Amino acid sequence: MISWRALLSHLAPLLACIGLFAIWQVAALILDTDSFPTALDALRAIPAILGDKESLINILASLRRMAVGFGLALLLSIPLGLMMGRNRFIAAFFNPLLMVIYPVPKAALMPIIMLWLGVGDIAKTLVIFLGVSLPVIYHSFQGAKAVEEKMLWSGAAMGLSAPQRLLRIVLPAALPEILTGCRTGLVLALITMITSEMIARQSGAGNILFNALDMGQYDTVYAMIIIIGAMGIGLDAAFENLRRRLVRWSEPVFELPLSFA
Amino acid sequence: MNPRRLATDVMLGGVPIALSIALWQALDSFGYAPATLLPPPGRVFVRLAQQLLSSGYQQDIAATLLRLFAGFAIAVVLGIAIGLTAAVHPAVNAVVRPIVRVLAPLPKVALYPALLLLFGFNHESKILLVAADALFPILLSTYYGASMVEQKLIWSALAAGTPRGQILFKVVLPAAVPSILTGCRIGLVISCIVVFLAEMITSTDGLGHVLVTAARTFQAVDMFVPLITISLLGLILSGLLQGLRSYLLRGFPEV
Repeated sequence: MISWRALLSHLAPLLACIGLFAIWQVAALILDTDSFPTALDALRAIPAILGDKESLINILASLRRMAVGFGLALLLSIPLGLMMGRNRFIAAFFNPLLMVIYPVPKAALMPIIMLWLGVGDIAKTLVIFLGVSLPVIYHSFQGAKAVEEKMLWSGAAMGLSAPQRLLRIVLPAALPEILTGCRTGLVLALITMITSEMIARQSGAGNILFNALDMGQYDTVYAMIIIIGAMGIGLDAAFENLRRRLVRWSEPVFELPLSFA
Repeated sequence: MNPRRLATDVMLGGVPIALSIALWQALDSFGYAPATLLPPPGRVFVRLAQQLLSSGYQQDIAATLLRLFAGFAIAVVLGIAIGLTAAVHPAVNAVVRPIVRVLAPLPKVALYPALLLLFGFNHESKILLVAADALFPILLSTYYGASMVEQKLIWSALAAGTPRGQILFKVVLPAAVPSILTGCRIGLVISCIVVFLAEMITSTDGLGHVLVTAARTFQAVDMFVPLITISLLGLILSGLLQGLRSYLLRGFPEV
């Protein structure tokens, strides 16, 4: 038997969604302009987009690029971050470079990368890869730095070599922190994907959004916003679920990572 | 950290930056990349210096900075206010938490078309996008900072005769300052990035617009210049914030 309180806390995000839609509906009814359709109109336009084969293919292609970029970024960033956390020289070597790259708007590299690699999948995946890498490196770095020395000494005393220690002690100990980085990275991957498609305007979810805006199909614009928002919230919730299973032993200090944006 | 270790760290850290610039130069010098696609670093930096002195470019920087500061200021005020209230007020907390839970992982850029439709193509839509993006790190860090204030501090203040109404400003807020400033730093860098992207998507001025214009006319040099400018701005502004932090936290233990 679930208690009322637990049920309420589970339903709270859903209630928040309904509340936000309600505010939207009321605001749209009060403003009553063409460029701000009501929430119901926007929701009604969603099946039309998801039912259309071409836009569905576009959205799925976007998601595929995002998955590839995200996966590649994890493969490279986690080992790099862990090594930086365990070796002072590696950290000193990479830190200033990463600090310089940090404030560069990654999606803004799109025009330049397109100039080199064309408008194909490679350019877009590369931009997503760049966007995801930094937070993952940073969190892996922090996680590996915080590993208790004694565990490493015990491992060394029991005859584990340095790479073995990295794999069998540092990686599990830093896993909660790494997963926090991945969670931020996942949301960033989606943001970078949408932004780069808005800038390159060639295909994908961001392109559908802006084409609809140009053609004055306001229902579609808002429906697309709901779809993209739902993707963000859904991906994040799914990842949070996975994280909770993987690192059941450690509750994060913060419910939501700070670097969300 | 002792000075000798610091010196080796600085030297080590300089290596990859120097190497990347050298690689960039080498790609041009040995003809692997045509200068039209990848202009040599020297030319980019000369052009950057030229542009920084030209008044047109300065106006673009001013437009970008105006939007950035306006949006960031809104985010700071709202973020700290909402975060603090949510931390001390259970009823507000019950409302704010699920809403933040839903809105934080939502890609805010997707809201930009809606902001364009509602607020027009001028400053307002960009400022609001910056504010929406910078809000959450500041709000979350304020909330976490304020809710982790030690209960003993509040009890001591009450015992020492602080009125209940002043606890928020005399105990909770100062204790949350380190966390709030961390959030502000993340929010500031995000603001720099977002304002640039918004200007790239639709704008008639600002640094992002300079990049888009250059991209349309295939002026590779002019594409690098605004990118370097916005990154420098980001570095300078977060440096300034770091300075403010060490000034505000001069009495605090090392955090």
